Amino acid sequence: MKAGFGRGLFGTHHSEPVGWVFAAMNFIFFLCAVGLGLFLVVESVPILRSEGWGFLLGENWWVGETFGALPMICGSLIVTGLAIFLVLPVALSGALFTSEYLPSSFRRRVKGIMELLAGVPGIIYGLLGVSFLTVGVKDVLNLLDGNTLFTAGFLLAIMILPTVLTLSEDALHSVPSEFREAAESLGLTKLQIALWVVLPQSLPGIVGAVLLGIGRAMGETIAVMLVIGSLDRVPGFNLFVSGQTIPSKLGREAVEALGSGLHWSALMGLGLTLFIMVAVLTFFGNLFVRRSSQ
Amino acid sequence: MNAITAEKMVLAFIGCVTFLIVALLFSILAIMFIKGLPAMHGGFLFDESRDFGRAGGIFYQSAGTLILMGVTVLWSLPVALGSVLFQTEYLESGKFKTFLTQLTYILNATPTILFGLVGYLFFGVYLEAGVSWVTGSLILAVMILPTLQVSIREAVEALPEKYREAGMALGLSRPAQIWRIILPQSFYGMVTGVLLGLARAAGETAAIMFTATTFSGIRFPQSFSDPVPTLQTHILVLAQEAANPESIAQAWGAGLVLLGLVFLLTLAAWAFRTRMVMESEL
Repeated sequence: MKAGFGRGLFGTHHSEPVGWVFAAMNFIFFLCAVGLGLFLVVESVPILRSEGWGFLLGENWWVGETFGALPMICGSLIVTGLAIFLVLPVALSGALFTSEYLPSSFRRRVKGIMELLAGVPGIIYGLLGVSFLTVGVKDVLNLLDGNTLFTAGFLLAIMILPTVLTLSEDALHSVPSEFREAAESLGLTKLQIALWVVLPQSLPGIVGAVLLGIGRAMGETIAVMLVIGSLDRVPGFNLFVSGQTIPSKLGREAVEALGSGLHWSALMGLGLTLFIMVAVLTFFGNLFVRRSSQ
Repeated sequence: MNAITAEKMVLAFIGCVTFLIVALLFSILAIMFIKGLPAMHGGFLFDESRDFGRAGGIFYQSAGTLILMGVTVLWSLPVALGSVLFQTEYLESGKFKTFLTQLTYILNATPTILFGLVGYLFFGVYLEAGVSWVTGSLILAVMILPTLQVSIREAVEALPEKYREAGMALGLSRPAQIWRIILPQSFYGMVTGVLLGLARAAGETAAIMFTATTFSGIRFPQSFSDPVPTLQTHILVLAQEAANPESIAQAWGAGLVLLGLVFLLTLAAWAFRTRMVMESEL
């Protein structure tokens, strides 16, 4: 990056001291972002060297003996999959109604409420989850313990609802009105237009919204940690047992392992796995969202 | 006829779903008030917590959260402002700009617990800041960097082209143009970004729970290497004692205060954003 400062990147302003200050600030930002990834890679090397692929495929996480990340990876995939499965019909209904039927003043209000909801801290959802959701799941389904994969997935669904709804609504709303008018002149009803014209047109944006929602759900720590039961085991097809996700594992064990040893490296390996998954989801999510808004 | 009835039913259904989604915010608020208000006895905000958080107030926890938030913005704002101005005013390579924007997106989506892990190792261990409010605020500063950048960039890019042209016609140098035109005109965007960043920092728990705080026995930090108590971690510890009604009652009280703080900051940010939109339409 530094080598490029001469003319190409910096234009003809490379002699201004103020410009160099801004460039330095930009370099700090660049270092933070790239450094985060690099650190995760470097710190994961010891565990990848000692466990190899067994790190990703191992089923047992016994501190001091062996580190296998499969229970956490499976847990993360199951919980986020469940969250998106639960949230998609709800968010799409809300987005369709808001974009196609609500007058613009109400539309703006719904968007505002979604922005407020998206800002509710994870710890508040955790508190609500611990007090109501775990108890509810336990009583309704007659379980011994309400801290299950299902509870975590349900809570995550509520948490990512505003994100998925707002972004899909943006996608629906950005479909040009000519499409609607052309369909109307063919005699289609409003619902037919919404479902068979607007929805297919905005599909890339909705896919992007879903990918970004999955990314958010996958990284949530506090709320999940409080309701998932924190049990390292590869879950079968039963959603109603305790489990563990990558972030909840990191949240539980970071204090014990702080800073050194193979245990820490194993946690950083988990972090790297999570980082790669979320980064890929975010990259493609933004790609789709931006394509739809053009 | 049948098709019209079906259409009306679908419409009624998705209307109801939308209503329920909107009601979600109000039910969360209602629950927080119903559960949180009983804890708000006279001195809840100004008393020290006693008996491992089961009694007393949340004074030092609130103070700790405010200290972390404030110092975080102090670290983050210069970097965000400088990097945005560099990208919009100086950088001419389009590809590199796109790359930096992608970095902002990725940083924004990075799970917050990873900021805690990597940040602790870098600031806490390598720079020897330990488990302290300095480490915590530096970590949060990196975390809210994208929030600030996006708001500031929006404000700078929303500036009408004629303002810049007028500046150029007056023969202003680039620094003078930034100082006289771009900074004053994008002031509201900056404030919006700062407020949203503060809200994000206030609501964050995962990144600071093992890097900046300890649960009890501390008040104001006396040095750079002291941890602080915070509302977020206070709630976290109390919520895990779900069997104990006193702990949970205190957790609801602290939760109500935290949620109030976050919503207040978000609403203030909206007020400034509306100002910004109005001014740019002049």
